[in-house]
Amino acid sequence: MTALVGALARLWPRAALLAVLLVAASGLHGARAQDDPALANDRIVITYVPPRASFLVPIYNRLKERQVLEQLKQFLSPLKIPDGIVLKITMKECGETNSWWSGRQNGLFLCYDWLDYALNIASQIDDPHGLTREDAVLGAFLQVIFHELGHAMFDIYEAPVLGREEDAADQMAGLILSRFGPDVAKRTFPGVVYLAKSMAEADGDWEHDRFADDHGNWLQRAYNNLCMAYGADPTTFAYVVDQGLLPKERAANCGREYAQISHAFAVTIYPHIDPEKMKLVQAKQWLRPEGQEVPDK
Amino acid sequence: MGWFRVVAAGMAIAWAGAAASPAAAAQTPVNPMIDIAYVEPANPDFAPLYEGLKRRKVLEELQAFLAPLLLPKRLTIEVAQCDAPNRLYAPGGPVTICYEYVARLRALAEKIPADGATDSGVTRDDAIIGAFVQATLQRTASAIIDIFDLPVWGREEDAADKLAAFLMLQFGPGAAARLIKGAEFFFNASEHAWNGADFAEIESPEAQRYYNYVCIAVGADPRTFAAGGESRDKPRSAALGLGGVFTQYRAVKCAHEYAEERWAFQKLLLPHVDPVLLRQVLARDWLKPFDP
Repeated sequence: MTALVGALARLWPRAALLAVLLVAASGLHGARAQDDPALANDRIVITYVPPRASFLVPIYNRLKERQVLEQLKQFLSPLKIPDGIVLKITMKECGETNSWWSGRQNGLFLCYDWLDYALNIASQIDDPHGLTREDAVLGAFLQVIFHELGHAMFDIYEAPVLGREEDAADQMAGLILSRFGPDVAKRTFPGVVYLAKSMAEADGDWEHDRFADDHGNWLQRAYNNLCMAYGADPTTFAYVVDQGLLPKERAANCGREYAQISHAFAVTIYPHIDPEKMKLVQAKQWLRPEGQEVPDK
Repeated sequence: MGWFRVVAAGMAIAWAGAAASPAAAAQTPVNPMIDIAYVEPANPDFAPLYEGLKRRKVLEELQAFLAPLLLPKRLTIEVAQCDAPNRLYAPGGPVTICYEYVARLRALAEKIPADGATDSGVTRDDAIIGAFVQATLQRTASAIIDIFDLPVWGREEDAADKLAAFLMLQFGPGAAARLIKGAEFFFNASEHAWNGADFAEIESPEAQRYYNYVCIAVGADPRTFAAGGESRDKPRSAALGLGGVFTQYRAVKCAHEYAEERWAFQKLLLPHVDPVLLRQVLARDWLKPFDP
């Protein structure tokens, strides 16, 4: 496996990024994901839909091979899904750079196209703050999954959302990424911010009409994520203020903002989580340390 | 729209201006947990605003309007000189409306002819009332979120805006339209250009807030607030400058946005409202001409 990844890295940089990403996301040492009965949840149904576009086939193959959705299903196993609802999570070719929560009937759609786009962005990375291409993709990939799951949870649990829901979904993703220790946060938040800033650059200045979007401006989203990271862990992310990435005026409020998000989760979502399964999930190592590869089966 | 008038919490603040009589105000109980203050400004330029607001008893009306709210601790609402364009609510309070802010909205409203209206039908009077009510409600909403420790998903300033918009819409189509349009005018009149690190601010861009209010209103009452609602010759969408992104993408989501806000209000705030006092509040005519 190590030799294969090395070979791919020399020949196909994008493929290597994908390989490393999926290695990083493939989770546990040892036992196959679906062999852990403690993390079973039969109210979550996963599907990989084969793409028609040939350039998406390698992504599809690798995601399946690495059991990414199986891992996600286990990660989400603590969710108590209400009666009459099945949380469907489908990966497919969407024909656009997007992913979305389609509602209780059809569930969550995660697009190979989005991952392809993130890989393209990351392949061009030249970040002065040391962000690796692998972590850029990892952060972007996980953020979109958890963002859409945020929409799913708000819907399924009828959570009261007083603010703008797209910001709320970003907050859900950031909260999850912040709850698995500084190593996970360090590897994921910078990628989220990098992608948001890349999108902002591609967008250019927004005209008045553009602000009608129910998503925030990409720079807003970048700063929101920086603030969440700093608010959750001002020690690990002290550099975002020291290096001027997050203005001090905003940084001063980030602890309070993070506490607000945590409070919202505690009141509206946590009652729907199995606490014992949650402990098991939080105890597992979901991202392999950088540089470590999964041995061949 | 309208369910709120029957069962919901009357926390909205619409100003009874010059026409409000002391007798009428005395008949409506005030909220005993709300303290009000007109803080005399040091800057003599603000003296006319100070005197005008005091004379019209705007804060007394607010006390009465908030009567149904079952506050567990005291809240101070004041008008004061801030030595800044604006002052957001900070945990622990008070709610402060700055003379600087009132002066600014009055200056913007004076761009509208005294006996005329904008293309979207906003009179000078509506612009002043709507913007003032919006600012007061938004800050009071922040205070309510703080006092009741409400769970807030999304950015808190946006949450306060959405709650303010929701409350403004509960007064029936006529009054609601005047308030919402006035608030929209104020946001749309802003010439603040946002660049780079500006987007790190806690408050959202004025254009974004503008569309938030437009969308909540359209979601609540498409007949009054959506395109073509007023004049076939002059569609409201064109008059409001509602371009492609709103009409083609956002507008279809507005009903859901309003429903989501209504649900959040019902679940989080309705338990803290006295329904009997609410009915009294909603039975009054609160919206009258106002010029600070």
